[in-house]
Amino acid sequence: MRIRLNVNGNAIELESATDRTLADVLREELGLIGVRVSCSEGECGSCTILVDGQPMTSCMMLVNQGEGKEILTIEGLGTPEDLHPIQQAFIEEQGFQCAFCTPGFILSAKAFLEENPNPTEDEVAFAMSGNICRCGAYPYIVRSVLNAAEKLQAGSSN
Amino acid sequence: MYKEFEFKSNDLAKAVPGVYGDVQDQVNGMKVVGHGFPVKDAVEKVTGSLKYAVDMTVQNMVHGKILRCPHAHARITKIDTSKAEALAGVIGVLTHHDVPQNDWEAAWFNYRGKVLDGVGRFVGDDLAAVAAVSEEVAQRAIELIDVEYEILAAVFDFEEARSPDAPQIRVEGNERDPYIVEWGDTSEGMALADHTVECDIFYHSQQYASIGRNAAIAEWMGDKVTLWTSSQTPTETRDGIHEALGIPLSKIRVMALPAGSSFGQWWSNNFMMIAVLLAKKVRRPVKIELDNEECMSAVKRRHLEKTRGLMGCTADGQLTVAKIDHLIDNGGYGFKDDVGFFCVDMWGKALHGHYAIHGINTNLLTAGCMRGVGDCTLGASVERMCNQLAEKVDMDPVEFRIKNQIKPGDELRMQHSRDNMHHDSVEEYLAAIPEEYRDEWPKPFHLLSGSTEEILRRGAKSFRWAERWNGWGKPSSVDGPRHRAVGVGTGAHVCGVEFEGNASAMVRLNPDGSLKVHCSVGRQGQGSETTQAQVAAEEMGLSLSMVEVETGDTDSCPWSHGSLASNTMFRVGWATREATRDAKRQLLEIAARDMFDNSDPADLAITDGQVHIKGSMSDSVSISEVLNMIRSDTLGQTSSITGRPAVPMPPSTTFARHFGAQFVEVEVDVDTGKIVLLDYLACQDSGTVINPQVLKNQVIGGAICGAGFAIYEHLVFDKETGAIKNANLLDYKLLRAADFPHKAEVLFGDSYDPVGPFGARGAGEAPIAASISAISQAVYNAIGVWVDLPMTPERLIRALGKV
Repeated sequence: MRIRLNVNGNAIELESATDRTLADVLREELGLIGVRVSCSEGECGSCTILVDGQPMTSCMMLVNQGEGKEILTIEGLGTPEDLHPIQQAFIEEQGFQCAFCTPGFILSAKAFLEENPNPTEDEVAFAMSGNICRCGAYPYIVRSVLNAAEKLQAGSSN
Repeated sequence: MYKEFEFKSNDLAKAVPGVYGDVQDQVNGMKVVGHGFPVKDAVEKVTGSLKYAVDMTVQNMVHGKILRCPHAHARITKIDTSKAEALAGVIGVLTHHDVPQNDWEAAWFNYRGKVLDGVGRFVGDDLAAVAAVSEEVAQRAIELIDVEYEILAAVFDFEEARSPDAPQIRVEGNERDPYIVEWGDTSEGMALADHTVECDIFYHSQQYASIGRNAAIAEWMGDKVTLWTSSQTPTETRDGIHEALGIPLSKIRVMALPAGSSFGQWWSNNFMMIAVLLAKKVRRPVKIELDNEECMSAVKRRHLEKTRGLMGCTADGQLTVAKIDHLIDNGGYGFKDDVGFFCVDMWGKALHGHYAIHGINTNLLTAGCMRGVGDCTLGASVERMCNQLAEKVDMDPVEFRIKNQIKPGDELRMQHSRDNMHHDSVEEYLAAIPEEYRDEWPKPFHLLSGSTEEILRRGAKSFRWAERWNGWGKPSSVDGPRHRAVGVGTGAHVCGVEFEGNASAMVRLNPDGSLKVHCSVGRQGQGSETTQAQVAAEEMGLSLSMVEVETGDTDSCPWSHGSLASNTMFRVGWATREATRDAKRQLLEIAARDMFDNSDPADLAITDGQVHIKGSMSDSVSISEVLNMIRSDTLGQTSSITGRPAVPMPPSTTFARHFGAQFVEVEVDVDTGKIVLLDYLACQDSGTVINPQVLKNQVIGGAICGAGFAIYEHLVFDKETGAIKNANLLDYKLLRAADFPHKAEVLFGDSYDPVGPFGARGAGEAPIAASISAISQAVYNAIGVWVDLPMTPERLIRALGKV
């Protein structure tokens, strides 16, 4: 069937079988490899994308569930030359090791910080518990999100 | 006869996490080593552009899927692939009839067998493979392969598998020769003991549960093959293909890509060999991408293990004896016999010891080295017995460890003769070491540097151990059902091994003064592409931005074990530094001759890419000027300089270990059995810290993986078939961000290793072992009962006698 997606600000129309997951279409048809797929059952959060601003595990979505929605993947967040403050914070605090899970964490953090721009450490740790980092960078992920909150606060007050 | 190194301390001020690099810089004047640079691939990592093997494609490639054995143990009597081959979109099918019947061996005996041999040795074992235009078609074709099986008797219990009457899983028999380490006479040790304790502890199997999965893409050009895959062991993987196919190493190129979390899972794996053979058969590039269930049920896992033994000590807490029998199950294709000798060394001040390790095959998923292999099991048993002895003599656990754990200069116990020694006994091996090295090399079988002592003392102070510890089996506070207590645990591991070969590296100094390092290591999150560059940059006198590292291309990277056995920084880092030193020597010889009036090269130095007379920056010339000078000389031999280690590295198992000591506070609810971790301090002695940002993350990661094993993680095997019942992340629970104290801190010891690069040693494995023992002890202190792992709520409640 014909699917219309709005991905990272670009309107895209493509042909896809209806039984494909949104994650597979984003990866394989659009080349957005930052959509990482690991557990394929919505547990690990690596494939997290923002759908109309809400974090969703794209491995659990059929492609037509993205129809007409605003989709943000990590590729739409920042560029190497112009990193998003959350990406910058993850580098400064080294909130990753292997980084397979990192795009999912960063997008979860983006949605969370929009809801709660000035969180406590415990709130961050709880909010980041929908994603799994098997390398165990958790304390540094929490510090990354707190650092990002400061950056975003400073940015918005300017 | 052997040089007794002076144990110099860096005398670093208190290692404040995060600013350690700056402190080290002030003390040592190093510009690159010791600094917490962001990793070189940080931008790719946060923008999602880093390519793992699952992201790789090759033009014209097709997709492969593997037929997996539905039985615990079965021989194929007939295999009919005609219906599969007739399916539209199928390119070809590979069965055991197409496969050379050669054994291949993964690093460190993690796999030994044929790629396919018509026998399935566990549910999920590889039997055949299909190549097709899509994964979906390949999967449908797999289901169309008709197989007739002769069902063979199976054995799942590793003690039953030892019996001569047990079903035989391998032609070599089910049990390996025991690996024995002994010193002194244990009956004397028993006689000296005022107290003894015994143990009989079973360990469940932990799954790597890697986030990231893996894929293998093989492409043949003529009779040469290239394999792209995520691997920690690039050159070992190339060796595996060589053994499996019997083709020259020069025809094989492995391009090892970054891996997701690996912990030893992605070394060289049989599915990679299948991709190579399938691609050869169908004459197309083939990609086999494993799904998560395959990663968790068809590759490998940590061993099931059992420790039986006793330890004893005198009334004043001196260990007198350790007598231990330890069993490990290797599953279908593991061939390992020697876990955990590194804890033997750490607790090696016991006066008399006898450790026997028995590796046994079963019809379960292959078991292999997972991070802290043996340390997390045998090591945990030894730590528990030592805790019980300390309680009997009423000694503080920190003091008991300091009294009984190895110190620099002490003898190492792990002296079992190995094949690589090419001598029947350690004595003959030592006698054969060439005279020229005797003055240079550390004293064999003696610990050269580092210990738990300093990190235990400083860690105890920082954690306020003396205030917070309330005695053995006594909680520090009780609030209704909630008992709080602290615990301490220690861990140690080698810093790489020399068995199977010595590590090498190669560097190329380019005409523009930039440096490329070629060394075979993994990129599974431990930052080796950055830390190896830091070593080379420091040695050559370059900024970090002028150095890049190729880690995965076996056509350019010389052989090394790769990243296993905590090898990367100590052994490959040594090779990287020596190769750089060799290139620097060549450069300075040319510069001294042609640009510094035939001065002595020893009088020259390089700073920020400028060659100059030591102590003076005037009249300096850049590296690129030196190289361009020889480039324009038609009689010059080269326009770039290559360097390689000019001497062999001393055998590191005979002198190098790294250490962890960790402190934890837990809260245990004696009604629900739930354990909550409240506070954490992880101390690490890895010698000089090349990049504190990288290492503190790696240390905490180890602690968290250990915590998972301690309180949650275990595979569940079906009693009838041995199949894994929880091969998914819904049923196999991993710790999440809120499950571990986010204020956890890391403290580094300040030892310095005279052999390691700039004083560094290994790092990856001690942290996971220390964590398991620390949490176990804290739970004991909270509730007064020892609980076997994993300390799930159910097991904890049972241990309390409540059900």
